Amino acid sequence: MSDVILEARNIFLSFHGVAALTNVSFKVHKGEIFSIIGPNGAGKTCMMNCINGLYHPKDGQLFLKGVDITKMSPHKRASMGLSRTFQKIELFGGMTVLDNIRLGRHLHLNSGLLSSCIYWGKTSKEEISARKFIEEEIIDLLEIESVRNEVTGMLPYGMQKRIELARALAVQPELILLDEPLAGLNLEETEDMARFIVDINEDKRWKVTCVLVEHDMGVVMDLSDRVMTLNFGVKIAEGTPKEVQENPEVIKAYLGEVEDLYVSRR
Amino acid sequence: MSYLPCGQYFESYLDDQKWWRTPFIKAKMIFMLVVVLALPYLVASEWLSVFYTINYYILAALGVQLLIGYCGQITLGHAAFVAVGGYTSAMMILFIPWPTFMVDSGLVYPISIICAGFTAAMWSVLFGLPSARVKGFYLIMTTMAAQWITVPLVITQYVSQIGGRGQSFSLPPGLIKIGPWTIDDDVKIYYFSAFLVLLCLLAMGNILRSKIGRAWIAIRDNDIAAETMGVNIVVYKLIAFFVAGFFAGIAGAFWISALFFVSPEHYEWFYSLLWVGIILIGGVGSIQGIVFGSAFVVIIFKLLEMGVLGISEFVMTSYPEIGWVTTKIIFFKESAFGLAIIFFLIYEPNGLSYRYWQLKNYFNLWPFSYTGK
Ligand SMILES: Nc1ncnc2c1ncn2[C@@H]1O[C@H](COP(=O)(O)OP(=O)(O)OP(=O)(O)O)[C@@H](O)[C@H]1O
Ligand SMILES: [Mg+2]
Repeated sequence: MSDVILEARNIFLSFHGVAALTNVSFKVHKGEIFSIIGPNGAGKTCMMNCINGLYHPKDGQLFLKGVDITKMSPHKRASMGLSRTFQKIELFGGMTVLDNIRLGRHLHLNSGLLSSCIYWGKTSKEEISARKFIEEEIIDLLEIESVRNEVTGMLPYGMQKRIELARALAVQPELILLDEPLAGLNLEETEDMARFIVDINEDKRWKVTCVLVEHDMGVVMDLSDRVMTLNFGVKIAEGTPKEVQENPEVIKAYLGEVEDLYVSRR
Repeated sequence: MSYLPCGQYFESYLDDQKWWRTPFIKAKMIFMLVVVLALPYLVASEWLSVFYTINYYILAALGVQLLIGYCGQITLGHAAFVAVGGYTSAMMILFIPWPTFMVDSGLVYPISIICAGFTAAMWSVLFGLPSARVKGFYLIMTTMAAQWITVPLVITQYVSQIGGRGQSFSLPPGLIKIGPWTIDDDVKIYYFSAFLVLLCLLAMGNILRSKIGRAWIAIRDNDIAAETMGVNIVVYKLIAFFVAGFFAGIAGAFWISALFFVSPEHYEWFYSLLWVGIILIGGVGSIQGIVFGSAFVVIIFKLLEMGVLGISEFVMTSYPEIGWVTTKIIFFKESAFGLAIIFFLIYEPNGLSYRYWQLKNYFNLWPFSYTGK
């Protein structure tokens, strides 16, 4: 087996005594697309927030690249090569698209206060190389040339989702958490987004490991290397897409939705 | 962001990221610089004090704009940091036994300005510490605490007593000297203030277009996402308080050159509110907004003052029997400021700088102005 990049061990999370995650353990291997599925309220976003550091599990441990990150703050985790997008768009509404993506480069820039004040010289060079990276690696890849100078708050929803991905990529992560990247997109946007996910996962310049939370089963089953299913905060299945689809527990959890479960939008 | 006229293309990232991207903008900025330099020859001398007051307000409101407009940390105690700057500078000039060659070569005041910046910055960071834990309304309360602790307590009760001179420290003429120049008349004060304003605005603009400034704006817009992208929000908030305090310290140290003395009444809470008002009027989150807001407030105050004086004089000479009216209209000035803020919040919540932005785009996009949003 390839090496493990992320490991969750016996994660427990509760809100005022209501359990959101109960004893969830899993491993994500380098280079794969690992999906987490489950009905609404199953605890998928909670799991993402635990990995990312926005929530702190009541019990259990998280390891990123072998390092115990359970008590680390989110920005430290980011500096270890972890990035994410959000289910509800969390862009910087007052900044332009370019500045949003530039903020993603934060960890790769290191001019201090004084050289920022002067700007000329070191900071200027650094800003230009950041811009070059953003233009040539990200804007080009995600096809957002036309909106780069727009203020993000004004953009259509599908475009905002794409900008979020762009910003997350600017961190140059090794592991990216994608929380429902396809939710609310139309067919064309969905296909684009799925293509981008495959791109960043397979392109040898990126090679980003993805943890994907998604309700669009067609896409999940197509893209994923492995799938984990949560229900009421409990892990009920894990395996290849095929194994999970055939798992009776999973079918039961989706009872009532069985009809739609394997129907892709295509 | 604002739109450029059609047909402007850039071939390198360097050109695209420049401040003054077109010849027209360059010409405009040079013209503005010339106006700033020539101003003492253009206006009557009693108006010069108005202009350096504008510059003082710009310097002081710069930090307020940074905290509120760019970092989202509402502050209502900025006069405290300006006071710290003013007192640091004045006390360094008065109480440190400087070697004569330093006094003669005019190094003392410049050194004291820099020290004032740092002292005020550290004082500001101290009161910024709660921002690591609290947001919004609670932070307003802690910044107000900065005002109440600093000015009426520390400065009035303790610092002012040093040397046993009572309430205020007066600076004998000739002490405030920068290199070969003794700052002793309005023209010199004006030029000095204009120099500081240009320097500080330049520094602020540069910070805002690099890593630190973007981190501040990100914290303002969405602190959770900022943290997720690797911004250490506690550290960057404190840097914001540091820089804002530094600007305040410079403002305070500058202002003693115009006043020739410092006393606590120059740093009353009213000023903290005034500077917040200035950025509301000028436009929150805009550097030009600080300039517009300061100019608006100071000029309106001046006009009102002239108006009130005119009316009082008229009343006193023509209708001396209702002379008591004049004591009532003295307070027009403050209430006009209050009314102006209410007016702006209701009718122009984006401030004057937004109008200016619209105007600029209108001309840049002309004749297809409707494409501008
Ligand atoms: N901050 C919070 N405070 C209290 N309860 C919460 C909080 N966040 C999540 N929960 C609860 O935890 C449970 C899991 O929520 P979560 O958002 O992880 O679901 P999800 O699997 O992402 O669902 P969806 O598919 O709708 O996004 C829900 O019952 C939710 O109400
Ligand atoms: Mg969710």
